[in-house]
Amino acid sequence: MAEEKKEKELITEVFINGARKGWNVATHSTIPNVLMAFVIIYILNASGLLAFIGKYAGFLMAPVGLPGVAIAVILAAFLSMGGASGVVVALFAAGSITVDHVAILMPAIILLGSTIQYMGRILGVLGVASRHFGVLFLICIINAYCAMFVMNILIK
Amino acid sequence: MSGDTRKIVAGTISLILAILFFSGWLQTLWGGIFDFNKLAGSFPEWFNAHSNGMGAKGGFLFALTLVPSVMLALGMVAVFEHYGALFAASKLLNPILKPIMGIPGSTAISLIASLQSTDAGASTTRMLRDENKITEKELLIFAAFQFSAGAMITNFLASMAPLFVSIVDSTGRGVPTSIATCLGVILLFKFVGANIMRLYVKVFVK
Repeated sequence: MAEEKKEKELITEVFINGARKGWNVATHSTIPNVLMAFVIIYILNASGLLAFIGKYAGFLMAPVGLPGVAIAVILAAFLSMGGASGVVVALFAAGSITVDHVAILMPAIILLGSTIQYMGRILGVLGVASRHFGVLFLICIINAYCAMFVMNILIK
Repeated sequence: MSGDTRKIVAGTISLILAILFFSGWLQTLWGGIFDFNKLAGSFPEWFNAHSNGMGAKGGFLFALTLVPSVMLALGMVAVFEHYGALFAASKLLNPILKPIMGIPGSTAISLIASLQSTDAGASTTRMLRDENKITEKELLIFAAFQFSAGAMITNFLASMAPLFVSIVDSTGRGVPTSIATCLGVILLFKFVGANIMRLYVKVFVK
């Protein structure tokens, strides 16, 4: 029954419904997240904290072809992917990272994406015992780090 | 039966078109009408010149530039899905899940759902577990797959894909990769992560 109804839907309506979903995602998630990221980056930048973090995280990010400040993107990704995308843009606008660095970071952001939130929404719903959470987070970090390594090779 | 076959064929074509659409390979074909970046278009120059502010206002203005790409991306995904792209993907995955990930083929639909929505993926998986269609160990492996890059398609298209349109450096160079490449790398490491969990489960979980 539901299938038949779906068949009758005009393809333009299908597109518009999807685009409407996009509008909702953009207004409810993207805009507030990006705005917050810009504010946080402004604070970190103006206070000199970003340069400080960048200096000490350099050894972690250098093997995958990234400057130390990119760690800010990684940290943001755990909380929210939209926020991490805002951090990417703010760092790019400030001249701290290049288009190559953006490419390296993209898959990693998603692989780490919003895991703090998803602890409840995925692991909680699945009923995974909390003793396994550590290894699950570790897997996300390994995935992201290896993905940055692969991207660094792919864009060469 | 033949209806099902037809659905799979149509779905597979739709899936291939979806990959091509987001790959950037068809950018020059017929003025780029089959290419995401081309269809996303561009803002007028005067807007780009004034959209690199700072702080909340800078963030707001920049975020506005992302909105059309998000709408286009999710609109097109709905169209590809309408023609059965995800249905075909789950049919194609069914026979290979056991060898490549150690979870039964019956999880294919949940797996595909989880690429689009974490909640749809997690709730259907929970149902499989409650009905005892998957074991505790298989659940853990599947959890690792879903947890890293949850809802990868929706999240990538909403948070990352717009950057391909919006980020260009002073020499006119854009981000040197494609949406399809990134999604491929993400999917690859989701499988890698699931297999790390498979190993962990084998060694540490009784």
